[in-house]
Amino acid sequence: MIKIRDLEKIYRTEEVETVALNKISIDVKEGEFVAIMGPSGCGKSTLLNILGLLDDPDNGSFLFNNIEVAHFNERKRAELRKHNIGFVFQSFNLIDELTVFENVELPLIYTGVKSGERKKRVEEVLDKMQIMHRRNHYPQQLSGGQQQRVAVARAVVNNPKLILADEPTGNLDSSNGNEVMSLLTDLNEQGTTIIMVTHSEHDARYSHRIIRMLDGQTVLENIMV
Amino acid sequence: MIKHYVKIAFRNLAQQKVLTGINAFGLSVGIACFSLFLLYAVHEFSYDRFHTNAGRIYRVVEWWQGEGRAPGGSGGMYTPVAEAMKRDFADVEYAVRLKGADCFMKAGDRIFNTSITYADNSFFNIFTFPLIYGNAKTALQQPDQLVITKEKALQLYGTTNVVGRILEIKTDSAFEPYTISAVAENIPANSSVKFNLLCSFERIINHPEVQKSNKDWYMTIGLEAFVQLKPGSRLAYEQNRLDLFRKKYYSEEQKPRKKGKKAEKKKEPEIQTSFRLQPIRDIHTNPQIEGGTDPKNIWLLITIAGAVLLIACINFTTLAIGRSAGRAKEIGVRKVMGSQRTQLIGQFLAESLLLSVASAITGLILAHALLPLFNQLADRKLSFSLSRFPELPWLLVGLTLLVALLAGSYPALVLSSFKPILVLKQKIRVGGANLFTRSLVTLQFVLSIGLIISTIIILQQLSYIRSKNIGFNKENVVMINAQGIHSKKIYPLYKEAIQSQSGILSVTASEMGLGSGEGQMGWGFTDHLGQVKGVIAYPGDYNFLNAMGIQLVAGRNFNPSIASDSMGAVIVNEALVQQVLGTTNEKALGMEIRNAKGDAATKKIIGVSRNFNFEDLTHTVRPQMFYRPAILEPSRIFVRLQAGDPRRHLALLDANWKKLVPDAPFEYHFLDEKFDNFYKNEKRWSAIAGWAGGISIFLACLGLFGLAALAAVNRTKEIGIRKVMGATVTNVVALLSKEFIMLIAIALLVASPLAWYVMHDWLQAYAWRINITWWVFAVTGFFALLVAVTTVSVQAIKAALTNPVKSLRTE
Ligand SMILES: Nc1ncnc2c1ncn2[C@@H]1O[C@H](COP(=O)(O)OP(=O)(O)O)[C@@H](O)[C@H]1O
Ligand SMILES: [Mg+2]
Repeated sequence: MIKIRDLEKIYRTEEVETVALNKISIDVKEGEFVAIMGPSGCGKSTLLNILGLLDDPDNGSFLFNNIEVAHFNERKRAELRKHNIGFVFQSFNLIDELTVFENVELPLIYTGVKSGERKKRVEEVLDKMQIMHRRNHYPQQLSGGQQQRVAVARAVVNNPKLILADEPTGNLDSSNGNEVMSLLTDLNEQGTTIIMVTHSEHDARYSHRIIRMLDGQTVLENIMV
Repeated sequence: MIKHYVKIAFRNLAQQKVLTGINAFGLSVGIACFSLFLLYAVHEFSYDRFHTNAGRIYRVVEWWQGEGRAPGGSGGMYTPVAEAMKRDFADVEYAVRLKGADCFMKAGDRIFNTSITYADNSFFNIFTFPLIYGNAKTALQQPDQLVITKEKALQLYGTTNVVGRILEIKTDSAFEPYTISAVAENIPANSSVKFNLLCSFERIINHPEVQKSNKDWYMTIGLEAFVQLKPGSRLAYEQNRLDLFRKKYYSEEQKPRKKGKKAEKKKEPEIQTSFRLQPIRDIHTNPQIEGGTDPKNIWLLITIAGAVLLIACINFTTLAIGRSAGRAKEIGVRKVMGSQRTQLIGQFLAESLLLSVASAITGLILAHALLPLFNQLADRKLSFSLSRFPELPWLLVGLTLLVALLAGSYPALVLSSFKPILVLKQKIRVGGANLFTRSLVTLQFVLSIGLIISTIIILQQLSYIRSKNIGFNKENVVMINAQGIHSKKIYPLYKEAIQSQSGILSVTASEMGLGSGEGQMGWGFTDHLGQVKGVIAYPGDYNFLNAMGIQLVAGRNFNPSIASDSMGAVIVNEALVQQVLGTTNEKALGMEIRNAKGDAATKKIIGVSRNFNFEDLTHTVRPQMFYRPAILEPSRIFVRLQAGDPRRHLALLDANWKKLVPDAPFEYHFLDEKFDNFYKNEKRWSAIAGWAGGISIFLACLGLFGLAALAAVNRTKEIGIRKVMGATVTNVVALLSKEFIMLIAIALLVASPLAWYVMHDWLQAYAWRINITWWVFAVTGFFALLVAVTTVSVQAIKAALTNPVKSLRTE
């Protein structure tokens, strides 16, 4: 599903030049659950953003479903992204002014799903995440675990093939974290590919494979058994 | 500490150049606009205050009051009144009569048209017009002495020290020499009493007309009378004393009018006439007395000025909040570092003070630069003269401080009260796009939209009355001034000389002018119900109607070969037939009408002309009549030219004029311009409203720009999330614009009925008026929306193009 080769990303500010990704190469197959680990600042988020088509690499090749997307422009990336990829962030990134229902509904609006269909699908996924009773609440009224469940619901409502999660448990206590992890595992078992950045060895164990990074490169891969 | 504030303030302002620039510029424009409007208003209210004794100088006016008419007065005074007042009232210190007249003056071989004012000796005792040369005590002692203004002296001689020179002046038939006895400073623009040349009243005292008027207490010759009361006198407010004075000289007015039945008495409106003393400072702004302007318009202007300034201040505040929005974090940090709330407030106030002082200075420079343009717009000669308005600098300093305080205090108080932890965690939004600032922006648009709608309606009405067929053809007609020449003889010669030339279509003449400032002559005629009706009379040449393109609907035109046509034959208009005769056009032919006073010959109607309007279109058509006097002594000659470039024809007219009348200048106007001048005020007001509308919508857009920037900053994260979820640039722009469009829509809803109401009221003054159409509101609304959306889009697009990764990274 994903095949990147010698990918480079360099951030240039006035004085410093940061090599965030240094000729990194990774493969992810459909249906895999991959964890990415590494010290802070080693380029995990950068990698995830590129994989999620939010950002473009400076060099290298990126095949997404066998299509070269490294040089896609913003509009093409957005088109591909909104039908194929869901995101979960450490800080949830819910919109405070919208209710739980409206937050989850958002990706469906932007992919042009009709309102009746939207309602059905949002309710379905809220049910699955067991937060149906909170549908009319605002994010600030929910606990962290509940917020992250909403974020996961929002990520999967479009039935994406790939979910990218950047430290999804980073802001949660362990019981809430475990809950989110089991949600992701369930999704993976139903066929969704998952790439997750984490600092927690415990969470990483839910995955099939751990990619360890340092200074913008992969240094080690552990296959879980 | 203050130094520290200023230093930090400078640094902060420099960091956000665009917002700071917009902020300062908007306020500058507002202050410039406000000071110009204020200057105008101060000028209008400052009339005649410069006289040292202004508090004791009064104009004698005649006041009418009674059934059937609004109370009002006139400054036109009877010749003997001033002297009688001085004689009868011990508390009248000085009295002066003023009479103006047109004249020609000769300097070398050049002849100028100007005006001369005759005044009693006490003139300089009462009024404060400083002399540059000459002595005020003796300047008007001799009847051949003349006081001239600096301006006229420069025009005539190119120098000001001209005392002793001889100036030739013609008022009646020949040039006569006068000796210049003094040179006066130019008359201030805010003076009701004006003169170019000032001469002793003695000069005309023996003039037959003046003689007659000096005995006849009812005869007016266009004279004004002023008195200066002794300190402490309350004569102006002791109306009973003035009434006794009136009774003494107008004893017949006190007699009971009619000894009839009561019912009959009721019919006759009872009008009481009295003399009053009008304070000189009241002359310019008292509309009840002829010639005074309505201060309503000045107040309206002050309101507009205030509104524009308010808009600018609102902007300043919103933009200041906008600028500080991004600094919530800095404040949080400062607070954690132990900064006192008062210190933070001081910091913000220092910034806004610095900015508003800079804006005020720029604003004043701007106002100064725009003054000539504004003078043209307002038809005034205003100047930022500190000596005349000593209050001005204080007013402006106060204003600047007020603006700084108003604009600075909101962000200072709100931001400094943040709970630092919340700010650091970005849990709260900076107060900015809240209800307060939204209402402010909406208010701005209400004002701007209202002003623009009003401008469009005024312009529509103007073009309507200009294009309206007023019943005759006023295009391509040159109106030549034939006053003061021997026109009885010269007109036929002149006509003869030019009428057969190519490009000259017709030549005619009248004893009355046409258009703005030309006045009218009329008589009272008794109508078919026995009431006296005013009829406007035009004594003109045989071909007057033809040349003017006035159509006949019945009867025939004047004919030079019918002798009786110049002895009592008249052509009347349809309005006269209906309103005075109460009959039909055909029946009117051959009818005779009689002057109400009975002292003029009976007139016989030979024709009826289509209704047309020689007046401005606030009036409906009034009864009018034309006749050919036995001896035509025209004051105006009308020449209809072929359409096209008139320069060649004018040169021809000028050359022939010079040949026949070498001692009077060839002075002409285009008739259509004369008629346009009726609407000078309307034009002025539409220009002022238009500019104010334009400026206010510009300022409102600045505010909107700031608000949009603020919204974009506040919603950076939300926009990032939405983009990750698949929102396109269009989606984001729509999202950000939506609420602003709502604001504009609300503004339009509020402004439209307001503007409709005001303009509907304004239009009532016109007998011929447009209907206010819905599309004016639609177009204005659309325009405001377009401008607003464009403004917001600049910010929205910027926000929409930001890489969401960046906005979400700020954690
Ligand atoms: N927008 C950016 N501009 C400049 N440097 C950046 C930017 N984003 C990330 N970096 C830098 O790139 C490196 C990798 O960052 P990131 O991918 O966020 O690391 P991680 O997620 O592994 O902590 C870091 O040194 C970071 O400072
Ligand atoms: Mg990271």
